[in-house]
Amino acid sequence: MPESIPAPLIIDTLKETFREARQALGRDSAHAAPSDRLGTILSVPDTHQKTVLAALEHEPSIRVLTCATEDEANAIAAGLYMGGEPCLLMIQHAGLYASVNTLRGVAIDGRVPIFYIIGLLSRERDKDPSESRSSMVRYCEPLLDTFGVPHARLEGPGDLHYIPEFYNLSRERRGPAAVLVGLETI
Amino acid sequence: MTMKPEDVLRAIAEERGDAVVVPTMTTAPAWRTIAPDDLSVACVGFMGGASSMGLGIALARPERPVVVLDGDGSLLMQLGSLATIAGAAPRNFAHLLFKNGVYHTSGSQRIPGGATVDFAGMARAAGYRNAYTIDNLEELRIRLAEILADDGPVLVELHTSEAEQTPMTAPGGAPFSRQVETLRDRLAAGAEA
Repeated sequence: MPESIPAPLIIDTLKETFREARQALGRDSAHAAPSDRLGTILSVPDTHQKTVLAALEHEPSIRVLTCATEDEANAIAAGLYMGGEPCLLMIQHAGLYASVNTLRGVAIDGRVPIFYIIGLLSRERDKDPSESRSSMVRYCEPLLDTFGVPHARLEGPGDLHYIPEFYNLSRERRGPAAVLVGLETI
Repeated sequence: MTMKPEDVLRAIAEERGDAVVVPTMTTAPAWRTIAPDDLSVACVGFMGGASSMGLGIALARPERPVVVLDGDGSLLMQLGSLATIAGAAPRNFAHLLFKNGVYHTSGSQRIPGGATVDFAGMARAAGYRNAYTIDNLEELRIRLAEILADDGPVLVELHTSEAEQTPMTAPGGAPFSRQVETLRDRLAAGAEA
């Protein structure tokens, strides 16, 4: 049975992921953008992850940039990548659907490593996402599969290791990778 | 009054210094010829992504000026980026908008609202630090250096005619994926210098 993940656990994982990313960039000559910040989260606010967003407002080591659209967020991520800034997108499944062309053009064809944390708003606790009554939940994984985007489910605190794993996977494959937040964070 | 976009691009090339330049759509083919270098990355086919891509570069490298060569039709596709950019308030960001009133690449169909759309006004209302409208080359040449040196974000609405080439009539340039890595390496090398 899936569990809601506490926001502080997610934030600690994000900080560690960014810290390791910045260290890796530092080893690779000067690709890391000089900064006292660990990284940037590009957000089009996700109701499902609102406790994480609220907690991030008090986390000075991570910049959260709210974008008007997920298309923007993808393009900004490309710019941050070119400039050597670790970053990820935090969006809702509806935002994935809204930005498929930019996923294709920037992350896939453009080979820009972009890591997505996607909230599955309205996912029922007693149903597998593939069986959800909500089409926004039900089509998410098939859509990612269609585009060849590797993905994993965050179904509880025990799955938090997927965040650094799939962040690094996006970098290794020079393309998109995603984790799906099963239940609303707490 | 309108300016030839190629003349505008030549004026920009003279003043851009070591700025990263992000051309899009009909500015891309001419910029490739006028200013071929590894400090430019063309945003073609991403439906209005140039302004956002430029923002990302500007935020990652605040010490480096960034100049976006946008189109009116392109910006309309991501108009909300004006608010996102204004909110992020990058001082090293100049947004030069080539306004010809049409979607040139797809056959010169009129953009919604046509030539009456006030992009400088929208940028100002969104919170850009400054926004200007320029419709003649003489004024552009006089003002451009100061505009680019000033704190951004700034938008300059440039009234132009249609370019001689579009990405459809003059395809070419390195693949976007290669441009990305080239610029990434170039910015890293610049940081080490």
